[in-house]
Amino acid sequence: MKTLINQARALSPAAWSVIPRALWPVAAGLAVAVLMHAVVGPNVPGFTAKMMLVAGINIILAVSLTVVNGFTGQFSMGHAGFMAVGGYVAASITYYGSIKFFGSADFAGGALSWTGSGPHGGGPLGKGDLLFMGSCLVGGLAAAGAGYIVGLPSLRLRGDYLAIVTLGFGEIVRVLLQGTPDQVQPWRAAEAAETPWYSLMLKLGGPKGFNLLPTYTTLFWVYLFVTITLIVCYRLKNSSTGRAFLSIREDEIASQAMGVDVTRYKVRAFVIASFFAGTAGGLYAMDIGAISASDLGFLKSFECIIMVVLGGMGSISGATLAAIILTALPEILRELPPVWPAGLALLAVMAVVQGAHRRWHPRSLVVVAAVTLVAELGRRYCASQGINLAEYRMILYALLLIVMMISRPQGLLGVREVWEIFGRRARRPGAVASPPGASSGVSP
Amino acid sequence: MTDPSPAVLDVRDISISFGGLKAVQGFSLRIPPRALYGLIGPNGAGKTTCFNLLTGVYRPDSGTVALDGQRLNGRKPHQIAAAGLSRTFQNIRLFGDLSVFDNVRLGCHLRGSHSISGTVLRTSYHVGQERAIAERTFALLELFGLAGRSFEQARNLPYGDQRRLEIARALATEPKVLLLDEPAAGMNPQEKVELRALIRDVRDRFGLAILLIEHDMGVVMNLCEHITVLNFGETIATGSPEAVQNDPKVVEAYLGTE
Ligand SMILES: Nc1ncnc2c1ncn2[C@@H]1O[C@H](COP(=O)(O)OP(=O)(O)OP(=O)(O)O)[C@@H](O)[C@H]1O
Ligand SMILES: [Mg+2]
Repeated sequence: MKTLINQARALSPAAWSVIPRALWPVAAGLAVAVLMHAVVGPNVPGFTAKMMLVAGINIILAVSLTVVNGFTGQFSMGHAGFMAVGGYVAASITYYGSIKFFGSADFAGGALSWTGSGPHGGGPLGKGDLLFMGSCLVGGLAAAGAGYIVGLPSLRLRGDYLAIVTLGFGEIVRVLLQGTPDQVQPWRAAEAAETPWYSLMLKLGGPKGFNLLPTYTTLFWVYLFVTITLIVCYRLKNSSTGRAFLSIREDEIASQAMGVDVTRYKVRAFVIASFFAGTAGGLYAMDIGAISASDLGFLKSFECIIMVVLGGMGSISGATLAAIILTALPEILRELPPVWPAGLALLAVMAVVQGAHRRWHPRSLVVVAAVTLVAELGRRYCASQGINLAEYRMILYALLLIVMMISRPQGLLGVREVWEIFGRRARRPGAVASPPGASSGVSP
Repeated sequence: MTDPSPAVLDVRDISISFGGLKAVQGFSLRIPPRALYGLIGPNGAGKTTCFNLLTGVYRPDSGTVALDGQRLNGRKPHQIAAAGLSRTFQNIRLFGDLSVFDNVRLGCHLRGSHSISGTVLRTSYHVGQERAIAERTFALLELFGLAGRSFEQARNLPYGDQRRLEIARALATEPKVLLLDEPAAGMNPQEKVELRALIRDVRDRFGLAILLIEHDMGVVMNLCEHITVLNFGETIATGSPEAVQNDPKVVEAYLGTE
């Protein structure tokens, strides 16, 4: 019998023909990033641009966590811990690297990372940008390494252990980072230049946080990473590897019986997710110009989990939407407009869709109606009492999570993508040339 | 114990107890290549436990299992699948949220090579492999009459189709020996007749050995060349269908549990 590997070789397209396929994510990322940076950014209010940047970082976090919590069905509760590892490593390399290489911790980037006021005189890229990008990638690798060390032992065990171990990991990272020595301030750059790397790199500011970092993160860099993250995760999902991930979530015993090395794939998913969380940490640190372990504790992990759960356990577009919504939510909550029109509109859409497909889910309609009613009453009450809902958003998140777990545990979209809501297209993947009945694949 | 006919699956004297319960005791079986063997016994006799022992879900307290001369003891379930032993489950274990197509595609996973970089960069090999997997999957689904339902979620299939999908998924791993745990359970008489033909066809086409557990005597007696009967974990009879059917111990075991 022809082995699968031989058959795969026979069906492989010419090597050069896949080069565009391999490179277009980068091109797409660049295009989206340039669009965001040059067209969208300058034409929206500064505050909105800032929100878009934060939303982008949250998208990376949510989508990467989807790989673990959504695809493989493991429950990681320490995503912010990996973000912290990546963020601190990236910050340390950028900050001390700037001092060592450029003589000061000042901004040394090009126009693409220029966040100061007024136009940037130089070219699009500067020497600082290389350092920044490299440090984000190294931060991602460091987080991936941490993910490997944490995942390998705990992913062998039953599901719940991972939740406990990652929760602990997040806290350990926080405590360790808060115990680091004071940072070498920018005005002592000359002294820092004399200090050897290994001792310099660990001076991360302890409880005061790691501050005065040069700020490189712009819409350009964030959306470059967002696009690449989305494409990588989407390609993973729609591949053998992705099916192995999903099969673990669906039924671990059957997955093993079909030859999936369950531990190995869980670790793979975990390492990939940690990598992207690490790069997000780097972007985050060099956006604010500071990173503090106390901001990257359990609450941040919890936010990531909500995004995944809300979006759908395994839906990349769902997690993306959820990240955008939850980033905007505090702002929306600050001055909440009436919610009943949105509720009614949603009900109408759901009724029309369900009617068209002749698949009625009366419960879903009742839940939406009830949630709308409660939300509207709550909004009126809060408005009359002058309560700012944004301050209570963690409580709202928790409520949301409880409602979701009861009414729709698979999340809004489940494993589907937005464009698959109305059923998957019955398309034969992989452009099979010969009619399947006549193919030589199976019969010996 | 020299034997001229080599057995593709050679099980010697395996036992396991759960607490005080001796679920399987001294189970031995030698299946020649391309054979169709049956395993029967009353409820709770230990049949499924035998499958779990062979496939590495449980580790036997004693005894050995060898597939094509390779010892399987101590290997993990996925390694045993890679060695060439595949199975279906009595309580169907499909990947319910995934499509019919993806369920079988997952079975093909085992024989491929899957690097993260290849997947992410969509290298030439990766693309070719996905095509090869899709081709194989369609051919299998066609053989099982499931091609028309390829993009339905596995959980939405009728019961009989789910059972057949499990067999298709197991075959996608390219086993040397296939273990079927009550493949006819929940099927109507018409489906059972078709299943018999299908199982024979699978054996001939793929040239593998099949061991099946079944309560439906019509299916077992018609299909199997050799039958082993378990009761309370012990092998009480073994031999041709006729011999086993007329064995007083077997009659007693079955009547005794009525
Ligand atoms: N993991 C386990 N722990 C404890 N007892 C078990 C376990 N697995 C099986 N048993 C017991 O072992 C005995 C044999 O079970 P098994 O499932 O193998 O029976 P079976 O022959 O497949 O029966 P059926 O025809 O009902 O499927 C039963 O008494 C069962 O309760
Ligand atoms: Mg059983």
